[in-house]
Amino acid sequence: MIHFDRHARRKLLSHTIAVLSGLAVIAVLYPLVSIVYEAFVLGGGVLFQAQFFTAVPPNACSALSCQTVGIGPDIVGTLILIGIASGISVPVGVLAAIFASEYRARGLGRAISFTADVLTGVPSIIMGAFIYGYFVIYYPTIAYSAYTGGLALSAIMTPIVVRTTEEGLRVVPNSVREAALALGITKWKATLRIVLIAALPAVATGVLLAIMRAAGEAAPLLFTALGSNLYPTGLGHPIGALPLLIYFFALSPYSNQVKVAWGATLFLLLLILIVNIVSRLLIHRMAVRMGGT
Amino acid sequence: MIAVVAVIIVVILVVVVGYSAGWFNSKSSTSSTTGCTLPSAVSLTGEGSTLVAPLMDQWATSYWTGSLVTYDAAGSSAGITAITAKTVDFGASDAPLTPAQRAAAPGLLTIPESAGGVVPIYNLPGVAGSLDFTGNVLAQIFDGSLTNWNSTALQALNPTVHLPTQTIVPVHRTGGSGTTFVFTSFLALENSTWAHLYGKGTSFPTNITGGLGASGNGGEATTVGTTQYSIGYVDLNYALTSGSSFGVGNVQNPTGNYIHANITNTESALADVKPTLPAGTGDWYNVSLLNAPGAHDYPITTLTYVLVYQNLNAYSTYTAAHAQNLVDFLTWIVTTGQSDSAPLYYVPLPQYIVSADTTSIDSMTFGGAAISVCIPS
Amino acid sequence: MDPLTPSSPSSSPVPQSEAPHRRTDRHRWGDRVFFGLVAVVGISVITLAAAIVGILIYSSQQSFRVFGWSFLWGTVWSPDSNIFGVVPFMAGTLLTSAIALLIAVPLALGSAIFLTTHAPRWLRGPAGTAIELLAAVPSVIYGFWALYVIHPYMASTIEPGLHQYLGWTGLFGGTAVGLDVLTASIVLAVMIIPTICAVSRDTLLAVPQAQKEAALSLGATDWETTRVASIPYARSGIIGGIILGLGRAMGETMAVTMVIGNADRIPTSLFSQGQTIASLIANELLSNTGPLQVSAILEAGLVLFVIVLIVNIVARILVWRVLKVGGGVVE
Repeated sequence: MIHFDRHARRKLLSHTIAVLSGLAVIAVLYPLVSIVYEAFVLGGGVLFQAQFFTAVPPNACSALSCQTVGIGPDIVGTLILIGIASGISVPVGVLAAIFASEYRARGLGRAISFTADVLTGVPSIIMGAFIYGYFVIYYPTIAYSAYTGGLALSAIMTPIVVRTTEEGLRVVPNSVREAALALGITKWKATLRIVLIAALPAVATGVLLAIMRAAGEAAPLLFTALGSNLYPTGLGHPIGALPLLIYFFALSPYSNQVKVAWGATLFLLLLILIVNIVSRLLIHRMAVRMGGT
Repeated sequence: MIAVVAVIIVVILVVVVGYSAGWFNSKSSTSSTTGCTLPSAVSLTGEGSTLVAPLMDQWATSYWTGSLVTYDAAGSSAGITAITAKTVDFGASDAPLTPAQRAAAPGLLTIPESAGGVVPIYNLPGVAGSLDFTGNVLAQIFDGSLTNWNSTALQALNPTVHLPTQTIVPVHRTGGSGTTFVFTSFLALENSTWAHLYGKGTSFPTNITGGLGASGNGGEATTVGTTQYSIGYVDLNYALTSGSSFGVGNVQNPTGNYIHANITNTESALADVKPTLPAGTGDWYNVSLLNAPGAHDYPITTLTYVLVYQNLNAYSTYTAAHAQNLVDFLTWIVTTGQSDSAPLYYVPLPQYIVSADTTSIDSMTFGGAAISVCIPS
Repeated sequence: MDPLTPSSPSSSPVPQSEAPHRRTDRHRWGDRVFFGLVAVVGISVITLAAAIVGILIYSSQQSFRVFGWSFLWGTVWSPDSNIFGVVPFMAGTLLTSAIALLIAVPLALGSAIFLTTHAPRWLRGPAGTAIELLAAVPSVIYGFWALYVIHPYMASTIEPGLHQYLGWTGLFGGTAVGLDVLTASIVLAVMIIPTICAVSRDTLLAVPQAQKEAALSLGATDWETTRVASIPYARSGIIGGIILGLGRAMGETMAVTMVIGNADRIPTSLFSQGQTIASLIANELLSNTGPLQVSAILEAGLVLFVIVLIVNIVARILVWRVLKVGGGVVE
């Protein structure tokens, strides 16, 4: 009798843990559901106005006007900042990863890999702070500009690109490299035209994820891009970005600006989530395909 | 997958190259009213006071679109730091430069471009109307000695109001704030303990524990609006335009009247004090509009200042066009731009201050020569 | 370019093992240039790390000259009197991170166990993806959501409740306004759960099937299998994941800045307003009263950088040991 009680107790414990762990998943997913829901409820109405994506952000409500459009300059600003950041981080990241992966016999390769891994954990605000610390002393007139904002974002993106490219290169079977060399193709051509091409889907996905990460960062832009409510005319001046707009307008006492912030939040959230879902699906499909061969 | 990424990259490249090459610039240098030559589009950057930010934003919108003005409201101290470091074209501060700050940035002009009032705001659910405060009581609230809303002192000032038995949550400004400078200056005038222990400054005294901190006038208004039983201090514009759930308090002035701040009584405060203005590069630290003498003047009124270098060669990267743009903008804001002030609850500058400002602006040089002004239409 | 065509008609077919050593001059030149290029670029990654440290050290000089090492145990941060010490922010950082871990670890581990053991097959992929999506949400959006959705609820319901029932612990004293260390910790917990969960799940999946089957064949329940066979094997990886989450929590900026109340003091209760090093930098790097404060803020940033660096290195070593594949792309 005792034996059956103990067995029943153990089973009960196991089932309880199963239920608790299921509840844990629900608790964990609640914030995601809540954020998306609130963004739709509070930002959905604003998003579907004609000029939301082209008008400039509204000033505070006054006796004269109380608008709830738009985020145009910040979309452009985000594009420009990501463009500059990608222009630096993609070539640098891919080439550094090639070095770390294809010339691995040297300890330097492992040092680079390790450094990149560690850099992915550096708080993003530090990236903005150190860029500001440098430029405010040596080049103060462009301390607040798209250049410094792009630099700060590239400091965040580069380690991610290095890591994902390295992973992608690692998965390419050695037989491909050996076959290329056996055919007399030089190492650099083999690396660029064969190995890298074979890893390209993974690399592209990694770049895309790095871009999405940079698109959502506000901290490093606080002291570099600074933020602006106007369409940019050049790269040497303060420039707006979607996360900065959200931050400033979220803290605003003016309800019209808060509404715009929710609209921008919904837009940015949808963009990032959809890109993430799509790229994860593609990674999954690639993994299945690779595993099959 | 690769095609998608490639398309994204191409779009981004077009945008980046386009903006750096000015392809998307639809602004053209049209002629001005007087027929002088306008400079080509150069952007101006300003940083500083959140008190004047709504007015600055309005000016940035209504000024000539050929010269884009970005204003970062990071607080008055941030503005002073930025202009000292030369990361911006102009700084904005409600707190005048201290002697140490003037020494760190020689050649800065102090140009008052507007004036505003600092008002107490409070979040008391169920309490209608405006509460009366004295500077003395405000000092006790903010230094933590007065802790409850229905304390004797507060109830005595407001005998007809039923104040709740709740702990007061004072909300102060974080960082260096000109609004804090004005407010603490007033508290120091009205309460000897405050004057003795804390004095006036751009930082709220850190040895006062308790209370919430908020960033910027906007953050202060938001925090008070969303925190029950809190009290804070903001510029008049924020108090009246937030549409928020807080009340605006009346402050007692030297004649004993409790004044509810508005454009009229802040304007009369400025008119009645009629401060003597130092020279542009002089010491403005003691210029104050506090406790104006008139019976209906609002006691916590302040000038707010734009800080620029007199000699624009201080910037190694300036061009003549850039210098002219800055001078044009400054001239515009103290003249034509003043018509934007009153609707936003800022005091339009009286003529004698405009003249003094114009003199200061005219003293600005670039390349050893005075800068010609060419106001666009 | 057809990869199957030899690049030069004059090159003889090369035996595989000697490929790197038998090249024509033209090929060697191309290889050398490329090697030089990727080496230089590779080194620039290390240069980036060195630049971060170097510039932070350089900017901290002024503060170090004035305060020396006492900056690290200075408890006063007073811009007015130009006295700066990093302890209030260390306290804020450690306190919020610790509470975040307390909340996050059970939830993340529980979720990982669910995903690897109890969830039906069709649910594992989507649920795992959904949890990873949490990691993709930008920090500023978390902060915005916390400010408008969580903070009012904390102020009106949760904190008064905690004060009423658990006030005797001394942890929940002071006025409950909702913008405080506790709310910041909760938001941080939400943000680090995906990190801990992902690493825990990966390490639990790396447990050899044989281990689990052995336990099951001896009559163990699911939970006992997990407890006896999986967790001990994956333990260092799970701990590594937790430490990774800690590192992420210590560096989080935007969400914390928006709900922590921004007081430059050591928090005395969970309802105190506080400040982490990250939120200090966000709030005061620009809004400062002078160059000494800027230097002190950047010195605090250097302290944060060093601490997060050490935490991350420890975490990576622990995770690599279990996964043995050089670590996944965990952020």
